[in-house]
Amino acid sequence: MLSLLQQVRLLDPVANTDQIADVLIEDGVIRAIAPHLSEVPAEAQVRSCQGLVLAPGLVDLYSHSGEPGFEERETLDSLMQAAIAGGFTRINLLPDTHPAIDNPTTVAWIASKVGSAPHLSCWAALTVDTQAQHMTELRDLANAGITGFSDGKPITNFSLLRRLLEYCQPLQKPIALWAWEPELAGMGVAREGVNALRFGLSGVPAIAETAPLAALLECVAEIGTPVHLMRISTARSVELIRLAKARAVPITASTTWMHLLLDTDALARYDPQLRLDPPLGNSVDRAAIAQAVKDGVIDAIAVDHSPYTYEEKTVSFGEAPAGAIGLELALPLLWQAFVATGQWSALELWRALSSRPLECLGQKPSALHPLAKPAPSPAAELVLFDPDQTWVTKPQSLKSLSDNTVWLNKTLTGRVLQVWT
Amino acid sequence: MAWTRHHVLSLADFTPEEYDTVLQTASSFREVLSRRTKKVPTLQGQVVANLFFEPSTRTRSSFELAAKRLSADTLNFAPGSSSLTKGETILDTAKTYLAMGTDMMVIRHKEAGVPRAIADEMDRLGVKVGVLNAGDGQHEHPSQGLLDLFTICSLLDANTPRLGLLQGRKIAIVGDILHSRVARSNIWSLTASGAEVHLAAPPTLLPKEFADFVTEDGLPRKLVVHWSLDPALTDADFVMTLRLQTERMTDHLLPSLREYHQQFGITRDRLRQCQPGVKVLHPGPVNRGVEISSDLMDDPEFSLISQQVTSGVAVRMALLYLMGGGKVG
Repeated sequence: MLSLLQQVRLLDPVANTDQIADVLIEDGVIRAIAPHLSEVPAEAQVRSCQGLVLAPGLVDLYSHSGEPGFEERETLDSLMQAAIAGGFTRINLLPDTHPAIDNPTTVAWIASKVGSAPHLSCWAALTVDTQAQHMTELRDLANAGITGFSDGKPITNFSLLRRLLEYCQPLQKPIALWAWEPELAGMGVAREGVNALRFGLSGVPAIAETAPLAALLECVAEIGTPVHLMRISTARSVELIRLAKARAVPITASTTWMHLLLDTDALARYDPQLRLDPPLGNSVDRAAIAQAVKDGVIDAIAVDHSPYTYEEKTVSFGEAPAGAIGLELALPLLWQAFVATGQWSALELWRALSSRPLECLGQKPSALHPLAKPAPSPAAELVLFDPDQTWVTKPQSLKSLSDNTVWLNKTLTGRVLQVWT
Repeated sequence: MAWTRHHVLSLADFTPEEYDTVLQTASSFREVLSRRTKKVPTLQGQVVANLFFEPSTRTRSSFELAAKRLSADTLNFAPGSSSLTKGETILDTAKTYLAMGTDMMVIRHKEAGVPRAIADEMDRLGVKVGVLNAGDGQHEHPSQGLLDLFTICSLLDANTPRLGLLQGRKIAIVGDILHSRVARSNIWSLTASGAEVHLAAPPTLLPKEFADFVTEDGLPRKLVVHWSLDPALTDADFVMTLRLQTERMTDHLLPSLREYHQQFGITRDRLRQCQPGVKVLHPGPVNRGVEISSDLMDDPEFSLISQQVTSGVAVRMALLYLMGGGKVG
């Protein structure tokens, strides 16, 4: 099928271009890009795309599936539909399912369950059942077609962590770690500070993240195995990462879309959907993280989509399980918060959601350029996004089985119209 | 002034006029409570549900008595005998009581924000059910804050207790402030009066961010943080002590009860640096010999503890009366 997208805003974070152009797409392959295409095959479907954005498919670094084990929260099928609805053409599952993704059989079982849209891949667990006790069979897993290794949970035993980094070095797979010290976090549910005091919510100190982060950076510097740092949520962490990158410690880092959009000011109404791990930062944290994404100190924005059922989340803030859904919401809300306000350019946002996450996974993103027939032409992963279309986030309008988000029943501006995978 | 507040969830946004209305109304009810027939028909036919998700004897009894003195019918909910263990959510519980025709809900929960969540749900459903926070986690305990205010103001002027009486007074709040909902409500009410409020506790129970606790809202709020007791007590007119939970030792917040008492316990000796006539308050239940010496607690020259309990009923009557649409004055 041949489509002509006329006068679409074409964003290419790799080529670093943001232009209005006519784009001819054949079965997901870009055949031509020009300011004005004059010679268009007669069978091409012509679509006027003024005001719309055509850009590479989004890449989510890490999210949770309910399946296997918690299919009432989310199935692989509903997760994939949610990803496509949100413009994500690549998603990477965290292994804390039940059973955990800690062996090649489970990896293969998931691969057999999923279709091709979006491209779904798994983080294999670093430790058996993600319990941070024993190494999984890492070499075996490395050949099983995984994204890389991560527990998605903290590994606080630095002796184990050191050996994992050493053992994984020759495997050359991405490793994603969450720097987090549960002992320091204690029973806390909100970032320490005056807001937590006023709201009477038990505090989580910033050092629950920064102290293990500093220790982890030392380990990485010493051992040399590249590591991706997940869920960066404090201003001080940004400084530590900036310093480590300046001395060429092999790290990349991500924050989550929620930590960019909200801070502890949002907790005044105790919405359990805002109970997150790590908790939302204070306003200084949020500002520092947003700046770090713009500067590239934080490479990427992850969704960390975490579905929970109504029953699980209809409890007090302090008792709620941590996490929120986001695959269908992240792009419009981030666009509104950062691009529409002029804080970031459209390319800066798109880079943090597409090319940079790929780089964090050790993959090389390619520029959008026309491929001539009959050259081998892998389909481009593309998203057509209308930044101005409004829609209401009803439970029935969301593809995700769960609707644990503070943005439920809200009118959002910005919607994905079409995805090519 | 007219009373427009539908729910009482926090004292953070109480206005001086609202404080005075509560104080005046409570004063009238204290007079009722001193009569031979201690009951008025004000809330006859109304249903007050005490939803105490966290066990409580004192506050629940006080609210129950207050409702009964106003001739309301009362329903008591106890989590042990409830459906909460059967997978019912807190909102389900609230809606069940709503369906029974409840007019006001008095809610206590071990987690901050639950009364707010239920009040929001009632508003969303468009029903006129008032929600009164009877203590939510470490957040607030507004009726305790108001009864402490009433106790102090009544001491200064028994006939016309009012907020302005505390202007320029020094009040010390001593103890486990970090974990105390009572302290938070008292900080809001006492700083609204123009009193100088001094907090004292070791740093583990009084994070330095408490210095910024009160917001800029046009009221002359004065709040000072001390990590030792004496500067807080010097020339104080009132001293509020707080209950120290013994689990604070296992949480690595304190070395021992002995050291705590030595450094922050209120004793007769320590009170000598206060103003003559200084009074001591405690929200109860007291750990005798920990936050306050046992003999001091029983000494009516210093202790206002039993007045606090008596005030509690009058203040809670006032709140239920005002929320139930009672006329002011």
